[in-house]
Amino acid sequence: MADQTAQSGILPGTLDLLILKAVSLGRLHGYGVLLRIEQISGGALGIQQGALYPALYRLEHQGLIESEWGTSDNNRKAKYYRLTTAGRRRLGEETASWNRLATAIALALAATPREVR
Amino acid sequence: MIPGILAGAMARARSLLRGIRGGTASDAEMEEEFRLHIEMRADDLVRQGVPEHEAMRLAHAEFGSTEWYKDEGRRARGLRWLDDLRFSWLDVKLGVRMLARYPGLSLVAGFAMAFAIWVGAGGFELVRQIVAPSIPLPEGDRIVALRNWDVATSRVDHRVLHDFLDWREEMTTVREIGAFRTLERNLVLGAGDGEPVEVAEISASAFGLVRVPPLLGRALVESDERPGAPAVAVIGHDVWTRRFDADPSVVGRSVRLGGVPTTIVGVMPEGFAFPIAQSLWVPLRLRALDHARREGPRVRVFGRLAPGATLEEARAELATLGRRASAEFRETHEQLRPQVLPHAHSIVNVGGSEWFIATTINLPLLMLLVLVCGNVALLTFARAASREGELAVRSALGASRKRIVMQLFAEALVLGGVAAVLGLAAAGAGLAWLMDVVETIDRQRLPFWYSGRLSPATVLYAVGLTIFGAVVAGVVPALKVTRGLGSRLREATAGGGGIRFGGVWTAVIVAQIAVTVAFPAAAFYLRRDAERIRTADVGFPDDEYLTVRIELDDAAPSGAAADTSRAAFLARYETRLAELERRLTAEAAVLGVTWGHRLPRSYHPHRLIEVDSGGAAPLRPEWPAYRVSSASVDPELFDALGARVHPGRGFRMADATSATRAPDVAGDPAARADSAGGRGGVVIVNEPFVELVLGGRNPIGRRIRYVHFEEWERTDPMRPGAWYEIVGVVPDLGMAVGADVGQGKGGDPKVAGIYHPVSPAAAYPVRLAVHVRGDPAALAPRLRAAATAVDPGLRLHELGPLDEVNRTEVQFLAFWFRLLIAASVIALFLSLAGIYAVMAFAVARRTREIGIRVALGASRRGVVLAIFRRPLAQVAGGIAAGTLLVGLLMAAVEGNVLAPRHVALVVGYALLMMLVCLLACIVPTRRALRVEPMEVLREE
Repeated sequence: MADQTAQSGILPGTLDLLILKAVSLGRLHGYGVLLRIEQISGGALGIQQGALYPALYRLEHQGLIESEWGTSDNNRKAKYYRLTTAGRRRLGEETASWNRLATAIALALAATPREVR
Repeated sequence: MIPGILAGAMARARSLLRGIRGGTASDAEMEEEFRLHIEMRADDLVRQGVPEHEAMRLAHAEFGSTEWYKDEGRRARGLRWLDDLRFSWLDVKLGVRMLARYPGLSLVAGFAMAFAIWVGAGGFELVRQIVAPSIPLPEGDRIVALRNWDVATSRVDHRVLHDFLDWREEMTTVREIGAFRTLERNLVLGAGDGEPVEVAEISASAFGLVRVPPLLGRALVESDERPGAPAVAVIGHDVWTRRFDADPSVVGRSVRLGGVPTTIVGVMPEGFAFPIAQSLWVPLRLRALDHARREGPRVRVFGRLAPGATLEEARAELATLGRRASAEFRETHEQLRPQVLPHAHSIVNVGGSEWFIATTINLPLLMLLVLVCGNVALLTFARAASREGELAVRSALGASRKRIVMQLFAEALVLGGVAAVLGLAAAGAGLAWLMDVVETIDRQRLPFWYSGRLSPATVLYAVGLTIFGAVVAGVVPALKVTRGLGSRLREATAGGGGIRFGGVWTAVIVAQIAVTVAFPAAAFYLRRDAERIRTADVGFPDDEYLTVRIELDDAAPSGAAADTSRAAFLARYETRLAELERRLTAEAAVLGVTWGHRLPRSYHPHRLIEVDSGGAAPLRPEWPAYRVSSASVDPELFDALGARVHPGRGFRMADATSATRAPDVAGDPAARADSAGGRGGVVIVNEPFVELVLGGRNPIGRRIRYVHFEEWERTDPMRPGAWYEIVGVVPDLGMAVGADVGQGKGGDPKVAGIYHPVSPAAAYPVRLAVHVRGDPAALAPRLRAAATAVDPGLRLHELGPLDEVNRTEVQFLAFWFRLLIAASVIALFLSLAGIYAVMAFAVARRTREIGIRVALGASRRGVVLAIFRRPLAQVAGGIAAGTLLVGLLMAAVEGNVLAPRHVALVVGYALLMMLVCLLACIVPTRRALRVEPMEVLREE
């Protein structure tokens, strides 16, 4: 698990959050999730594409997202993912906790020698 | 919070289920998803200007290894462990190969598991048939019984002729309602002898209800039920083959049933015995009009649930009818609550004790399986330990511990599978055998729905047992042997320490040896009981007597106009019996004829009594009064048996007429009433009575009375009733012989006994004892002929020499004896195999140590002792535990401290067992002693 996120170049644990965010904006197939993440992160968070799927299955297994087979824009059979109620709650919690962490890190990094004296 | 957790758990289960259900389908889904992803990516790349063939390659590269992500995907779904558990055809093949490579071990282990599965599955099927019987007729489980429950007495009231008609008229949820009552009748063919047969007087509708067509002729029809219609009967397959030699032209033949000439109109197919265990059917011609409500004969009512109706609906409907009847017929029906229940449950009522029965039978059998599989585990473990090298190499080559465990499990499962097939095949036969034994002992057939057939549930249970057994015998030792396999691999020394036999294995061996010691001891007791019954001294030459129990068909099966009162019936019985006595006495070979309700050697129930001036002997603490046996007998019994009455006088004929019946005819309410309020009379007691109740004081003139009808009826005591005066004393006449079978009241086979003089009518049905010159069995055919000549309605039961009266008890004891001996042999076999395995294992483990010891000059004796110490301790422990068990058993049975003779017997047996167990050590020990020190050291 660790080596897979290392390859992706993003912080461990953040991929799940990004996926939840991506599907919270509407139902998506796997490739769509990838594009959406690239889009909403301004292309800054590239991941190895296959790594997306174990994460999707894990989230589905946890009941945070659910899937169903449907037809894509170009008329092909595709599996679509959608946020569940539990997933929406989790996304809220994770977002809040991420924000707290990010603020704390930002504060910590902004500290000057005068402040620690 | 809680709903969230629930939703999460459900999602997990759903995704897991999806994965399991379609293990391969889910793989295919992932592939499909991945392919779509890569193709869409390639399309995008093409749109960005990448050449088409290059785009596909690039998309693949960006995605990464599909196999890797598929594997990760399965892990994410929680499916990886399933892969580990899934074992392949290869494992099975390996398992078979292993079985073939160690044939001795496979044979012992397979046999043991087959035995355990045989017993376990047989027991389960038995419980199922008792607790949840299934009727083997088309939709047989929809056949129900209707009956009236009397809430005042908490009993079923079978006097329901009127209710039967009401129910038949009005019920919509239960159809094809009929009634029956069971009788026994003498079936007489031509001029031949009669033989009793089980008869059902039954409504013709029964034959439509069971949906079984007759094999020959016709079934009963409604017109047969009309009064005055010709007497007809349908016979069962067994009667047809046994009595008519399967004569195909039997239909239309005339026979006598009891006294009534009857025409056979049909033959039912094999196995048909509705409603319980009958083999002859005649029309039920009882008319409700002849009787008042809640009076008249007792019948049972049955019917079939209407299509679509449930038992609950039938209950509701019948309850409504019941309430109406209670209101309408206050006098008779206020206390009655009609019930509807499955037919089988109305015949064999296990009450609310299903769970108790299921547990008490299945649990010990399950424990037996655990014990047996524990032993097989021991063997598997010893073998797995000797394969440690192979396992270590496999582990080093990358096999996970789970894989190795699964392989050993597969081996055990292959073995268990073979064992299960054998065990199941034998279970049906075993069950049929058990039912045969029960039928022989009870002297009557079991209800027809009991059989040796195994239900699907039982087969499923056996599969469960097999898997469970394979887990115990394969997985447990595998876990033990693979623990720390890696570290042992690094140590890599031949024969150094490593795996050891732990406390569990020791316990298994000790328990088994204890069983091999205790079971034969119990068997010995059964044997001794049987022997004691066979050789009992009953005070007279019982091998010179022929005995038979004689019953009489009561009023001819419905129709015949005659006095149907009980008194008239008994008067008829007395006349017939007197006539039979007369004819027998006229035979040249007959020295005398006598009778009694119970005769020496037959079982005498116990009663509780008190003595007018109080007994002199100490009272046994477990009874509130003196415990005695009683018998109602011919006033001339003692003369006929040649038993001397001293002191006091014998019975006179006048004693029998002045006395009412004794409380001997169990279950007869009239006898109970007589005895409770009656006039009493005179009795003769036996010598043990004088000793056990009166402490040797003079009994003549002393009076006794009964305080409880049956010793166990504490809840329903008799009013202390009439006083009986003791007028004489006779020697012990084998009253205790048939009592307490299997309880081995070893030290004291004497029972205090009381004899009441009665007339034959008061002792119905009587047992006749005919004193014969020469072989008593030779008189049997003549007695049969004489009885038929006197009255074809006389039914003869248990005809045979008096000294063989206890044959069935002896058979019963022999059955348990064989069972215990078989169990002991198997336990012995298993423990020997276990000891051998442990020894062989120990020697193999310690080869190096032995070699070094010998090289350093240790004596052979020292080496042997070092190896022997452990099995010696186990055997000794097992024998000690077994001996303790035997000691407790003996103390409980004998009720006193062990005699030196018994101690010597047990010690001798223990020594013998020790010797036998040590025999198992010979081969491994010789192997150990042959160890050449130089070879061992060279191997290092």
